[in-house]
Amino acid sequence: MIAPEGRFGSDIADPELAEAGLARIAWAERAMPVLGLLREECASKQPFAGRSIAACLHITAETAILAGVLTAGGGRVHLAASNPLSTQDDIAAALASQPGVFVNARTGVDRDTYYAHLHRTLDGAPDLVVDDGGDLVNTLHAERPELLPAVVGGCESTSTGVARLRRMAAAGSLAFPVVAADVSVTRRMFDNGYGTSQSVIDGLLRATNILLAGKTVVVAGYGSSGSAIAERAAGLGAQVIITEVDPVRALDAIMRGHRVLPMAEAAPAGDVFITATGSRDVITGEHLAAMRDGAVLANAGHFDVEIDVRALADLAVQVNRGIRPHADEYVLASGSRLILLADGRVVNLIAAEGNPAAVMDLSFAAQALALMWLISGEAALPAGVHPMPTAIDTEVARLTLAAHGTRIDELTAAQREYLASWRDGS
Amino acid sequence: MAAEPVPYKVADLSLAEFGRNEIRLAQHEMPGLMALREEFAGSRPLANARITGSLHMTIQTAVLIETLAALGAQVRWASCNIFSTQDHAAAAVVVGPDGTPDDPRGVPVFAWKGETPEEYWWCTEQALTWPDELGPNMLLDDGGDATLLVHKGAEVEAAGLVPEGSDDDPEEWRVILGVLRDSLAADPLKWTKIAGQILGVTEETTTGVHRLYEMAKEGTLRFPAINVNDSVTKSKFDNKYGCRHSLIDGINRATDTLIGGKMAVICGYGDVGKGCAESLRGQRARVIITEIDPICALQAAMDGYQVSRLEDVIDEADIFVTATGNRHIITAEHMSRMKHQAIVGNIGHFDNEIDISGLGRLPGIRRNTIKPQVDEWIFPDGHSIIVLSEGRLLNLGNATGHPSFVMSSSFTNQVLAQIELFTRTDQYPLGVHVLPKQLDERVARLHLDALGVRLTELSKEQAAYIGVPVEGPYKPDHYRY
Repeated sequence: MIAPEGRFGSDIADPELAEAGLARIAWAERAMPVLGLLREECASKQPFAGRSIAACLHITAETAILAGVLTAGGGRVHLAASNPLSTQDDIAAALASQPGVFVNARTGVDRDTYYAHLHRTLDGAPDLVVDDGGDLVNTLHAERPELLPAVVGGCESTSTGVARLRRMAAAGSLAFPVVAADVSVTRRMFDNGYGTSQSVIDGLLRATNILLAGKTVVVAGYGSSGSAIAERAAGLGAQVIITEVDPVRALDAIMRGHRVLPMAEAAPAGDVFITATGSRDVITGEHLAAMRDGAVLANAGHFDVEIDVRALADLAVQVNRGIRPHADEYVLASGSRLILLADGRVVNLIAAEGNPAAVMDLSFAAQALALMWLISGEAALPAGVHPMPTAIDTEVARLTLAAHGTRIDELTAAQREYLASWRDGS
Repeated sequence: MAAEPVPYKVADLSLAEFGRNEIRLAQHEMPGLMALREEFAGSRPLANARITGSLHMTIQTAVLIETLAALGAQVRWASCNIFSTQDHAAAAVVVGPDGTPDDPRGVPVFAWKGETPEEYWWCTEQALTWPDELGPNMLLDDGGDATLLVHKGAEVEAAGLVPEGSDDDPEEWRVILGVLRDSLAADPLKWTKIAGQILGVTEETTTGVHRLYEMAKEGTLRFPAINVNDSVTKSKFDNKYGCRHSLIDGINRATDTLIGGKMAVICGYGDVGKGCAESLRGQRARVIITEIDPICALQAAMDGYQVSRLEDVIDEADIFVTATGNRHIITAEHMSRMKHQAIVGNIGHFDNEIDISGLGRLPGIRRNTIKPQVDEWIFPDGHSIIVLSEGRLLNLGNATGHPSFVMSSSFTNQVLAQIELFTRTDQYPLGVHVLPKQLDERVARLHLDALGVRLTELSKEQAAYIGVPVEGPYKPDHYRY
């Protein structure tokens, strides 16, 4: 399928779905006033005029609105999916129907197609890259080094991707500056804290319809996502058990009234297991073998390596796929039936709709502002991973408050002076 | 009456000014009682009532006592717990708003913090012993001790002798038998006469209500009773919200231990246990419930608490609170297995939930009093536990009990119940009654303004649609709130 503008094309499941996708994008737009404000600004200032932006993101309505901001600013956007299961085909079709947007994403593609899509995205010869998990930047460096000199910079959304990029930078392999969007205050607060936690519970409920009150929910990892998932599970009446490797986070969990156990001890106690560590092999075959009949397994981390799905398959004497959408039942030799959600992939995106639009509004607004800053030349950053500038964080919060109609106080001159002074004491 | 000196026994009348200041602050937080004073200032429905009260002699109770007096009643008071009296409150009530420590003009009170069991029952007897052989004609009870003394007294007088106590009896029972032995010798019909004059009792708490129903079932109840405890605006408010407030207040004042991150066991998940669990969870303790009732146990589980047996968590938890209304919940053996410096306290009405006397009998155990109502018990192996208020209700022993606002709700029920029983005696035959729902709703109404609550009113059509009067009552009697 070749788009009107010539050599770039889209590869999507079904162009007929565009109308349905556009309706969903219009719905999401209502909850994304900050990107709305930025789109107006971009339309008048044209910061991306003539620029190419390669983006590897979950193909959702929210991503579509970010793409709309970039194209409104004069950019050409090449999109690939950052996860083969998270692509919403109607959104992909809707995006592909828009001028200046090229989409290579179909739900459920195999690994080869997934990487082929990344290459087609890079064919756009990007000035800027937007990544979610680090696959695009990695492929760009490893397999398309000829494109590197033109790249001004990029953004990475997830902690997993940022960690990968840091390792690349440490090895001297990262060729351009990347703004780490995972550590911005607004992102931590809204995306992990409010968005992921809500949508993980949403995914769990949609996939299983389980009553959480009275259940024991084991949350592996007490980072910004895990702690918020724990809080929500407790809010629904579950008992929460936390597993951690970091003593500071474990202490925080304890002080918030959760029980902290090693996974080996949590495994036989839990009704529901949610991994949110960013690490691998968090739930192993040994743990799986110890679990109760009916235990539900879900992963909220970016990659599908937190639950050892292969070990689960090895332990199983029978697998009943699709007992509900996104729920597979693994029957162990002991007779225990374990329910794996979304193949152990990120459950909030697959079994639910990912972060609510209002959360992604802030996250993507910060990234759009970071891209504007990078392309303006004002950033002048060396190659490497850079934190989201505080000024952008503050601007996102300011725009969000403006969109909500919330007014706040301003420091007076006397207050500013007082806060800047070291002479006043008791 | 002003010429008669006010009889009393309290700790120190010079505390009256402090007590009066606190009463003044409490009045603002007790809008229900103050509204009743205003409403009944002219009609004085309790004129000629002689009310003996046995109820924790706190600042809030002082506002209750003075409300009863403002409605025309004569009042005599004792506390219903040896540790719960606030001495400045007792002093202020005796001195009264118009008196001075040198010329007290208030209400007779027999109560001080830290009574011995002998002193406690002496105080209860004084509150029941009115001048000129007139007894009380109304009782206002909390836990049922005044009711019990009158009933046991009359029973003993009918039998003509006091039973011999045995060594297996609780110490307290032997004290009561002693009181009855003395009174039988002095006046063989004292309690029979008192019982005969009493029109009824209004009972404040679960434990006392339980006793009343038992007596009614056995046919030994001598006068009608109103169960104030089971007014919704009492048990669902005082028990739950009051304990939610005062449990951690007691633990904090006693120990100043950080509650966040600790493992706490609440024994019992009734109204009190629910409030306690929420209180400790709010401080981010990990709360574990023990229960014998499958309904309450399931409720606890659905509220997200771990429900375990005490034996299974006894060596793990940091804080233990009993809220069962039952006896022998935490035994000496349990306590010997607790973690070093585990905190043990009771918020149930009586001190029999935790076996303190059994603890004291363990060979080689030592008691080290850290401060009043906080004892460290050191086991022979060197590890120790911290027992609050000697196993008596710690929210009163270690803190100041329920806050005024919650008590206003409870005590407004008490005053309405006293008015009902005293002025509409014939409507309440021998037995145990609850207040009509309309009065319960009225108590709630009287507290809405103070919290800025704007109530929505049913339209006539809406009221007709659900089949209730516009002005209430809104719920059927079996509704559980």
